[in-house]
Amino acid sequence: MENWESEVERNWEEGPSLGSESGRAPEETPAQPEPGSGAKARRDASDGRDLYLNIRVLVGMMSAFVLTFTFVARIIVVSGPSMENTLQGGDLMLVWSLGYTPKQGDIVVLTQESYQEDSIVKRVIAVEGQTVDIDYSSGVVSVDGSPLKEEYIKERMLLPSYGEGINHVTVPEGCIFVMGDNRNHSADSRYPDIGIVDVRCVIGHGIAVMFPFHHWKGL
Amino acid sequence: MNPINKSVSGRFSWLLFALAAAFVSAALRRWQLGSAFERDTGLPIRGAQASVILTCVLVMAAAWFMILAVQQSLGKHPVEPGQARRWDLVFLDAGDPVYPILVVLAAFLALAAAPFLLRTGIGQWLAYRELAAAHAKDASVQLPSSNGALTIATAVGSLLSFLGLLQMGRDGLHAGRRGKGGFSATLPGIAGCIWLMESFRGHAANPVQWDYAPLLLAIVCGMVLYMDFAGMSTSASRPRRLLWVAAMTLVMSGAALVSALAEGSVADVLLLLAQGLTAAAVLWRLPPKLEHPPTMKGTPIPQSGEASIQEDTTDE
Repeated sequence: MENWESEVERNWEEGPSLGSESGRAPEETPAQPEPGSGAKARRDASDGRDLYLNIRVLVGMMSAFVLTFTFVARIIVVSGPSMENTLQGGDLMLVWSLGYTPKQGDIVVLTQESYQEDSIVKRVIAVEGQTVDIDYSSGVVSVDGSPLKEEYIKERMLLPSYGEGINHVTVPEGCIFVMGDNRNHSADSRYPDIGIVDVRCVIGHGIAVMFPFHHWKGL
Repeated sequence: MNPINKSVSGRFSWLLFALAAAFVSAALRRWQLGSAFERDTGLPIRGAQASVILTCVLVMAAAWFMILAVQQSLGKHPVEPGQARRWDLVFLDAGDPVYPILVVLAAFLALAAAPFLLRTGIGQWLAYRELAAAHAKDASVQLPSSNGALTIATAVGSLLSFLGLLQMGRDGLHAGRRGKGGFSATLPGIAGCIWLMESFRGHAANPVQWDYAPLLLAIVCGMVLYMDFAGMSTSASRPRRLLWVAAMTLVMSGAALVSALAEGSVADVLLLLAQGLTAAAVLWRLPPKLEHPPTMKGTPIPQSGEASIQEDTTDE
């Protein structure tokens, strides 16, 4: 494997069909007689090469880090109490973005610019085609007529300060209905400024709390 | 074809192909901005023709330039006692003003970005301090996502880029000291890291990847370009990859430039132009010199205590 990799590396550098003049790897450069003083120059060159290689590794790691956390996954810092007790303010959450389609019950990170520019974390209550009914008198949320068993909510849901908001709706195609687990301190799809969320606004799906370590759990 | 004509055609084929691909990607990005996003929400329209074609063109350009790079013929790399390779010599040529002019122009573009970044960064910092004071009194006040530190750091990075690029341009005018010529390119490479982080942070909450993916990819290409350029002074040189990365830097910078112009981000425009010019300079100088590397004559053997030596170089 190692040989194969070094061969690929060499081909990349030197090309597949070079003449005898140019196919040498650095180690194969013919040794040339040097006086004792030439050793210092060689050492300097070697130090420079090592420094360069270290910087190159650093730059490579930085590129890989940013590209991975742009296209594949993200780390989001939870801010605010709307997802308590599932998530606490300050938790570091790993979010999967690549090829994700929202499903009922998932915790998602989304940006609804009609509400705020920063992203928010909520739970998917219903996806396209499903009908959501919220009964504040009993504190029950029903989807397609079936009451949800919501063991994750922090406390019994009360009527929000802005009124009932959006409490009976069939989710249109390509959209989701989201709510926070801390129902009484959450601006979510019930709140008209947020409302039904387009799935294209979803950044990804929370898969684990990474930090602090005593909060570590899969989601 | 005689060697000179061959060199000229090699030079122009790389540069022209890369410029043409950059122009096409920029035009497609412009078309995409006008047709592939919903006007009221800015969300992408699924399966929009412009997005599909732009993706295909970028992938095809990457593949095409990779094939060209792999097939690029290399002459014998210059070898000197104590130095495994001297590929950096291809950039050290007093007789060709195009390369230093492009690189020095790039240096001043990078310098011009600094005041814009600094002004934005200081503005963000002041706003953050104000809101942080309000947040201390009332916890419901939301803190902004940026405190301006990364933007200010990017301004400092653009100054580093200026110094590095200026040195690269100077090296292009005067045959440099061995082993040092390319290392100044690590400065814009490192500055690219800060710029990348700043751009990533600025778009972290944006669900539309098309808004920032071209910019991030262009910055990454630029970073790799500068690092590979610096590597030309060491035995870790990768001349073929440098060619490919230079071409892709031009292509991605073309697409990202349109985004930056649409967003009105002057600093991004200037920094993208700077790395685009550097890439063009590399494509101007590198292909013909890879086939016919400069040779050294009268290279003195280093005397005791000398860390570097001057040497005469001649081209072809």
